[in-house]
Parts: sequence; C-alpha cells; structure tokens
Amino acid sequence: MTRKKRRLMVLLLAGLGLGTATALTLTAFQDNLVFFLSPSDVIAQRPTGDRAIRLGGLVETGSVERRTGADGRPAATFRISDGPNAISVTYAGVLPDLFREGQGVVTLGRLLPDGSFRATEVLARHDETYMPPEVADALRRSGHWNPSQGAAPPAETWNTAPRNGRSGG
Amino acid sequence: MTLHWWHITLSYLLTFGVFAALAIGAALRHRAARRLLDTLDPRADRRGEQP
Amino acid sequence: MDHPPALTTGTTPHRPAGPRTLHRFANPGRFLRATARVMPFLWGASILVLGVGLAWGLWFSPPDWQQGETVRIMYVHVPMAWLAMGGYTGLAVLSVMSLIWRHPLADLTARELSPVGAAATALCLVTGSLWGKPMWGTWWVWDARLTSVLVLFFLWLGHAALVRAFDDAERGARAGAILALVGIVNVPIVKFSVDWWNTLHQPASVTRLDAPGMHVDILYPLLTCALGFTLLFGTVVLARTRAAVMERRVRALQFARARREDAVPA
Repeated sequence: MTRKKRRLMVLLLAGLGLGTATALTLTAFQDNLVFFLSPSDVIAQRPTGDRAIRLGGLVETGSVERRTGADGRPAATFRISDGPNAISVTYAGVLPDLFREGQGVVTLGRLLPDGSFRATEVLARHDETYMPPEVADALRRSGHWNPSQGAAPPAETWNTAPRNGRSGG
Repeated sequence: MTLHWWHITLSYLLTFGVFAALAIGAALRHRAARRLLDTLDPRADRRGEQP
Repeated sequence: MDHPPALTTGTTPHRPAGPRTLHRFANPGRFLRATARVMPFLWGASILVLGVGLAWGLWFSPPDWQQGETVRIMYVHVPMAWLAMGGYTGLAVLSVMSLIWRHPLADLTARELSPVGAAATALCLVTGSLWGKPMWGTWWVWDARLTSVLVLFFLWLGHAALVRAFDDAERGARAGAILALVGIVNVPIVKFSVDWWNTLHQPASVTRLDAPGMHVDILYPLLTCALGFTLLFGTVVLARTRAAVMERRVRALQFARARREDAVPA
C-alpha cells in the first residue's frame, strides 16, 4: 500500500504544480485572452494606429441607420454600448441575420482619430436564452420584455410558459 | 431547402453518421473477437459468456 | 472458472482479484461475464432514446424566436460538447486508476475511449461551425472557448496516438495516462472560458437543471438527445473494450498454441 500511496502523493503534487502554473499563465495572458474590448476599454486605452481591434457590446436602441453606400453595397451606422459608454460604428457590407437593436455584436476594425470606429467585419453574438417565437411574442405583448431594450426577463418567468395560441412568428 | 436547413441536415447527418459508423464498427469487431475466441477456447460457451 | 495466468494477462501483469476493490473487474473473465448481459439492453436503450431525441429535435420542437430553425443544430452540438468534456474527465479518472493502482482494464478502456472521444470533439467543432456561420456570421473565430475546445481535440488525438506508439503496451498506457492527466487542466478552461473572458460564444444555458435559460420545449429534446448520445457513447466504448479484452485473450491463446506446437518434436 505504501507504493500506491506514494504514487498518489506524487500525482497530487504534480497536479498542484500544474494547476498553479496554468492559473499563473492564464492570469498573465489575461489581456490577450479576451476576444473583444468594450467601449469603456476602448475609450480608456484609445488603441489608435494600424492594429485592428475588436469592439463588442450591445447595439444601442434607436441608433441603427441602414443605407446604401456609394458603391451600391449596403452600409450601416450604429452605436455599440456597454451601458456607461458607447462608440459609433460605420460598416459597409451585409449585416448578419441576427443583427438587431439590443443584440450583442462583435466588430473588427480600427478606431479613427475622431473617436468613431470603422468596422470591416460585424459578427452577431447571441445570448444564452432560447425561447419559442410564441413565448417571445406573449412576453412582448404583455409588456414584460422589449428585445430591443435588452436581455430577456429571468428564465423562470417564461421557461415553462405554454406555447398554445400560436401566432405566425 | 433553405441554407439554414442545409446546415441543420449536414449537422445531423454527420453526427448520426459518425456515431452509427462507430457503433457498427464496435459491434462487428466485438462479434469477430467473440467468434475467434469461441473457436480457440470452446469452454467459453459453458462459462456463460454468451448473452 | 479461473483462467491460467498466461491466458488472462496478455502483456500487463496480473493481479489477484480482491473482492472489495476495483480489482474485482480487473479479472478479464469476470468483466466479460458481468458486461455480457447488459450489452443488448444498452444497445437497445441507446437506439430507442436517440430515435426519440432525433424525432423530437427535428420535428416536434419549436424554432427559436430569433435563431429560427437553426437552433436544432444545438440538439447534436451540445451533447457532443458535453461528451467531449465528460468523456475526457472519464479518461483522466481511468488514467489515475492506471497510474496508481496499475489497473489493466483501465488501460484497455482508456485506449478504446480516446478515438471515440476524439470523434465526439471533432463533431462538436464541425457542428459548431455549421451553427456559427448562419448565426454569428463566421465559421470560426479564435476566441477562448473555440480555441480551448480545439486544444481538447488535439489532446484526444494525442492520447489515441501515444498509447499506440509503443511496442510495449504498458509503457504506452503509462505515457498516455500522463498526457491525459496533464491535459485535464484544459477541461475547466473549456468550461469556464465563457465566464472568465469575453468570447463570441455565448455562456452556458443549462447551468442548473431547475433554472435553465431555455424554454422546456427546447430543453427536453436537448436532454433526450444528450442522454441518447451518452448511452451510445458508453455502449460503443464498452463494446470496444470487451472486444479488446477478447482480442488480447485470443492472442494469448494463439501464442500458447504456437508454443505447444513448437515443443512437439517434428
């Protein structure tokens, strides 16, 4: 039994060392592991210059303006907000299907000297709620939720709601 | 069929296809090993190793 | 009842099967007998549950209010992700059993588990990509979640290759067990990457079963598919391990027969 106990101790010690090393490494590279910066991060750091950065947050309600660009391609301006701060973004190209006001997005591009952001890529980021269209409709009709204003109400208020009264969603 | 349904169909075909292949492969290998073992060691029958 | 040691052990040293420890199942004959009876039930249950889950997920569940029909990819993607992580945790447990108790069946099971785990992880990545293109607008990004799952896939592949790379099966199993245990640090990174760093991938919806962030009409088919795939995954690994045990005994019998024939003077 002593040999087994010794092997167990060696394994536990190695595991402790490995865990500590991993935790330290991850903490050291914290800044590189985030996928995008929030508007507050960007305003604090002002990463101008040639390096493309990712800016992410929620599309501010009432800020989306779709138009057709000079070259005939669709274009849009909108504001990305994280609550306290917002940055206005211009983008030429087709927006993803999930893009809407109140939706999370991650954009890739450059910060211009005037403080606005020119995106070359817009990705939609969906949240962790999944609900049938009828339930979303019912929440909207009853005034419990406006999707363009933000996240859905707590899940326990709707996740067992009946789906009858189908309206063509 | 819309593009979305193509993605759904492809996902299901791949997942169920790969798992079906794994299951059939495992079952065939299992049967082959049992047959070979039965010919080499016929006592296995009497020990109740057959389901 | 008992096999002569030369026939039961193959390459790993045989240890007497004590009644109260895990070594009860280290006896290959006992393992084969104990699992033989449940195999047909496991196959049947896997196919039944997966059939129900497939029909429920594809036809009898609602679309999502904003993702539409594409949400159905979740019913295959999420079970693959759970199996990739859960299976790897199982591999780590087997590795501990192998390194500390030198459990020969743990070695064999680990060897048969890793190709199946690699397949599940590959399917998780591919179905995730097929889901990400229509929803996010991209097949792939290098965010913390996606990258750590790719690392998990390479760990599975590395284990499968490493245990097969040695002429001495026991040394291969030992090396594989060490790799599997080093790689286990990646499992909490995969799990918590969406909480520790911001990612394109959304956080977990099913953190607690009593308060999931999804409607029950979407949750139940997901849980059914997850149960079905878990059953099938376990059954496949068990069938492969049983086959490996029998193949090992076949080799031992053939070796013994060849030696007997050699001993007979021509």
